[in-house]
Amino acid sequence: MLAWILRGLGKGVVTSRYPHRPEPELEGFRARIEVTNSENAGAELEAICPTGAIRVEAGRVSLDRGACILCGACIEVAPERFRFSSAYETADRRRAGLVVGEVVERTLEEVRLPLAAQARPLRRSVHIRHVDAGSDGSEEWEIAALTNPYYDMQRLGLYFTLSPRHADVLLVTGGVTSAMRAPLERAYEVMPEPKAVVAAGTDACSGGLAATGGEIAGGVDRVLPVDVYVPGSPPSPLALLHGLLLAAGIVVEEAAA
Amino acid sequence: MTSAPLSSDHAQRFLEGRFRGSIEALPGAATALRLPLGTIDRAASLLTDEGARFVSVFVAELPERSLVAAFAFRGRIVALRAPLKDDAAAYPALSLHLDAARLAERELHDRKGLTPLGHPDLEPALHPDPDDVRLRVVDPEAFVIPYGPIRSGIFEAIQHVVETGGEDILQLETRPYFKYRGLESRFDGLVAEQGSALAERIAGIASVAHASAFSQAVETALGIEAPPRAQLWRVVHAELERVANHLDVAMKLAEDAALSVGVARFGILKEDVLRLRARLCGSRFGRGVVVPGGLASEPRLAVDDVQDWTARFERDLFSDRRLLLGTSSFTDRLIGSGRLDRETVERLGGVGPVARAAGISTDARFERPYGAYRRLGFDVVTADDGDAMARLDVRFGEIRESLHLCRQALDRLLDLGETTTRVEVPADESAAFGWAEAPQGELVYWVELSGGRIQQAHIASPSLHNWPLFVASFQSDVLTDFSFIEHSFGLTPAGADR
Repeated sequence: MLAWILRGLGKGVVTSRYPHRPEPELEGFRARIEVTNSENAGAELEAICPTGAIRVEAGRVSLDRGACILCGACIEVAPERFRFSSAYETADRRRAGLVVGEVVERTLEEVRLPLAAQARPLRRSVHIRHVDAGSDGSEEWEIAALTNPYYDMQRLGLYFTLSPRHADVLLVTGGVTSAMRAPLERAYEVMPEPKAVVAAGTDACSGGLAATGGEIAGGVDRVLPVDVYVPGSPPSPLALLHGLLLAAGIVVEEAAA
Repeated sequence: MTSAPLSSDHAQRFLEGRFRGSIEALPGAATALRLPLGTIDRAASLLTDEGARFVSVFVAELPERSLVAAFAFRGRIVALRAPLKDDAAAYPALSLHLDAARLAERELHDRKGLTPLGHPDLEPALHPDPDDVRLRVVDPEAFVIPYGPIRSGIFEAIQHVVETGGEDILQLETRPYFKYRGLESRFDGLVAEQGSALAERIAGIASVAHASAFSQAVETALGIEAPPRAQLWRVVHAELERVANHLDVAMKLAEDAALSVGVARFGILKEDVLRLRARLCGSRFGRGVVVPGGLASEPRLAVDDVQDWTARFERDLFSDRRLLLGTSSFTDRLIGSGRLDRETVERLGGVGPVARAAGISTDARFERPYGAYRRLGFDVVTADDGDAMARLDVRFGEIRESLHLCRQALDRLLDLGETTTRVEVPADESAAFGWAEAPQGELVYWVELSGGRIQQAHIASPSLHNWPLFVASFQSDVLTDFSFIEHSFGLTPAGADR
């Protein structure tokens, strides 16, 4: 056992200070796609996207990050309009908030500081129950990574729990397959109030590539009321942490009300 | 622990002796045998008697609508192809002689309405009911525990129905398909290059393997080959994926044994691999790299940087491995748990580290070498005990071989003068098998193309093959061994369910 203790100390501190300090963006990481020029577009742009995330209305382009699987097909065809960005704070409380045109994104500071304030009262603990409703499996890896020493979400008062009866936040991955619909609804029903639901990943936001096949509901919000959407295919651990802190904010606000 | 694979010529001679007149050429290391539908079960058992391993059964549309049963046989894929007439609704079940085909035939029945006559257990597979948990053993003291489909922990959805008298596991039924998303049919009509993005999302933790097997099927069908530089980078990405998957298993096993520092250390190592992959290609899962014809984008790290990383990583990893395997409270839980013997694995057509840990030297990279694996050297790591400990030993051995393969590929990349990484994909009509050794085992794609678009695709997934082995591994185990055994298999429900 002593050997393990020494090994544990040997590495030093690797843990991120996010959201109290900004975590540097990993250069070149494909966290999301930005629209750099939305003017004077032809309707043919819509056909590039395999999940129909690109819309052209009256010559203006918009991109639905909740449907975007980050395949980069649009960047290959129209690099003058789209580009990858490594900004990882992609979650939003509204589904419509994930649809972006050529907008000036909020700066990291604007997002991070309110989140840090939100995390402060959480030291009393928020419990999270994860349910897989038909993911591709990568989301589970990124969620599990939140407990590794790099992200260590326990430092923010966030914990995973094994029972939905003890959970404040339901973290759902996948676009909800027919076989998972009833178990998911039951898990939600037995959670105590107040509760928040996080849709983790593009599949959970919109169904992604499986959306039009008829086998899945096409997003968690077709089955349950969703409070926070975290797009990404899969979302990185920091994107998930951002989404969970938004959800925890909802739970704390409701409990105080 | 390797032996020369039986030559592909040997397979050809055997087939010519037995099936003269029905042999058809397929592109790549594959052969088709055209047979009447009524004889497909007998032909299948003839092949398996000679040592062929069942791969999959599906309906192909090219060159004509046919039932296809695919086998891995002496360095080739052998496809028994029986043309289906319009009114054909049934065929003699392969499962009559072949336990390995049971799940695949149930799935085919659900998907295409083709009835395998004589199938011992033809229940619907694709849309399982989580509340349908019946007691099967006849024991007045027994009761049923359904584990899942919502699991205890951050795991994918699957249901294990455990029948127990209190401590011993009397019977286990594993029910996949809770995550059935109908993704195979989403290939229909896609432009060939777009198919990779879909393949990467079939099993997210084996994205590179899926994109490679798919791309190689397309390349084989169209008679093209990815440039050498692309082939070498594919090896680097695929082996990093294997390392990450095996570390994930080690981490989960340490968690089952409540070794907190072990969980943290292997969590750090796994995260290091994912971060390297993100720096290489922008995705922590190696997505957006492998496409038909080569690579979608150039790697963003210099070869030297990856070499330096590999050397540092290997030192950290092997000192943690020594500590883990020297902790008896950990190894005691694995030794003897979930033991599989060689005969069971062969009967059920097992693949990957699970089969190799039971002494079977099966590995698609070695049996039917593809891409740069034809020119690189590595050992197929095997063990004899067939238990959870043997499976972990095999995984650590494979991590060593993976890093060795990475180093060889990187050395060759330094010496390579040629800089192209992608070739044009023609728009001909053709179909072929493509394969890759995923971290979970052999993964096979069948892809049909016409006019630059995919007509249809079929996937034979290693996770689906190995679920029956998981059930068979419970010989004399108790409930507290369950999670150790499950995690030692390292399977992904998303890959099985599709």
